[in-house]
Amino acid sequence: MAHSVSPLRFFRVVPTQPALIVWTFLVVVAIGGIAIARVPSRSGDLMRPVLLLQLFAASSGFEVPARRGHYDLLLTSGHRRIWVALVHWAISIAPGVLAWLVLAVVEVTARGDADTHLLASGTCAAMGLVSTMPWAITVRLPRFSGGIGWLLVLTLSTSVLSSGRMPGSSGANEVGESIWSAWEFLVYPVVFVGRELSIGDGLIAAPALVLALAAMVAACRWVSRTSVPLEAAQ
Amino acid sequence: MPVGVSHQRPIGGGAVTSFVVSVRDLAVQYGRRLVFQGVSFDIAAGQSLGVLGPNGSGKTTLLRTLAGCLTPRSGEVRIAGLTPRDALTRTGVAYFAGDATLPGSVRASRWGSLGNGDVVTPDRRPIRALSRGTRQLLGLRTVLGRHPLGLIALDEPWEALDPDAARWLSTTLETKRDRGAALVLSSHRLHDLAGFCDSYLFLLPHHAKVVHAHEISATSPVTALQLAEVFDKVRGGAMSLRAVS
Repeated sequence: MAHSVSPLRFFRVVPTQPALIVWTFLVVVAIGGIAIARVPSRSGDLMRPVLLLQLFAASSGFEVPARRGHYDLLLTSGHRRIWVALVHWAISIAPGVLAWLVLAVVEVTARGDADTHLLASGTCAAMGLVSTMPWAITVRLPRFSGGIGWLLVLTLSTSVLSSGRMPGSSGANEVGESIWSAWEFLVYPVVFVGRELSIGDGLIAAPALVLALAAMVAACRWVSRTSVPLEAAQ
Repeated sequence: MPVGVSHQRPIGGGAVTSFVVSVRDLAVQYGRRLVFQGVSFDIAAGQSLGVLGPNGSGKTTLLRTLAGCLTPRSGEVRIAGLTPRDALTRTGVAYFAGDATLPGSVRASRWGSLGNGDVVTPDRRPIRALSRGTRQLLGLRTVLGRHPLGLIALDEPWEALDPDAARWLSTTLETKRDRGAALVLSSHRLHDLAGFCDSYLFLLPHHAKVVHAHEISATSPVTALQLAEVFDKVRGGAMSLRAVS
């Protein structure tokens, strides 16, 4: 086999997202880190911009640059496409995950105990959701499409489905409340930030996480099997 | 539809016993649009095939199919006996579709290092800031720097190159071919490929034909004028390409 570039090395040279995203994460971490160090109890609030940014960072898009031929060198290097897809995803979400972990370390240091908001299971679930679903949705779409679409669904949900009710507010009955809560976590996972998930919370979060996993599998499968014509050749 | 079927030509007086590339009755389509069909040819190690045809005839599509980027509608492609996807892992395949496929925001020096790790250029400017010929040369040097290579598939490789770069490309391709690589080179400009290839695939809408160099000119290298005459015959003399060549 000829000397071939690894997916990891390729996507370090050919970034999956613009430098502006990385710089914005740095600014958010700097400001958030200082704020958490001063008032550790506000860490949950300061995690929101990280999740919002991650929504767009993960919406990196695969097909558009591939059809422009930007990934030809990698796609013809002999590496399995599934690894190409997974490394593309990992590189896309890496800045957001790093930003989250840095803020978590600051929080742990500032609190001086293990009771942290940023490493709570609810925060992990929210981070997992915004790190997977947007990538899977955007794999065939232009960059940031997943993030934009997600915000649109969130806006529609708050203005149409709940008649003006904002995320985090309660529903009318038990069944409706459960459905609404599951939907709420799917479109607005911030509601779980800082919470340790109970069994009930887990059942509410499960549909969204299963959906995210299924979307990831479908996206990786698509990358593995798809034809990649050049835009100009069609 | 008509099919271009090659007849193997011995190299260096010996019989050719195995093909690096074997294509049988290949058809590719985008959605409902059929790009080409009935394309067949063989290329042995150390041989080169020139793919000629007007814009939109499917030259780029054919090369991308050989490189494993496209799944054909029907037909068979074998590279060293394997499907193109499998061949990528076993046989070195160099494929380049032109300077427009390079990501403009990446620094030239970093892109160049993706070939075999060596420094192709110290230029740290973004690729989009380079001239078109420099971009083309960067892309070619990056893919051709890899080794060993069993198949080299290049789409319009001489496009935009200055004379020095064009000479470097020709020399490099001849060297790779002498070392056993099979070459597939496309162009819509006949003089790029004239005299360079062992055989020529004339790819036209709904029509493909392979003609060997020795069938065009038995005693001397094929000229662009001779290629144009053959092209006219293949396409039924509807339009002369001599002006192009």
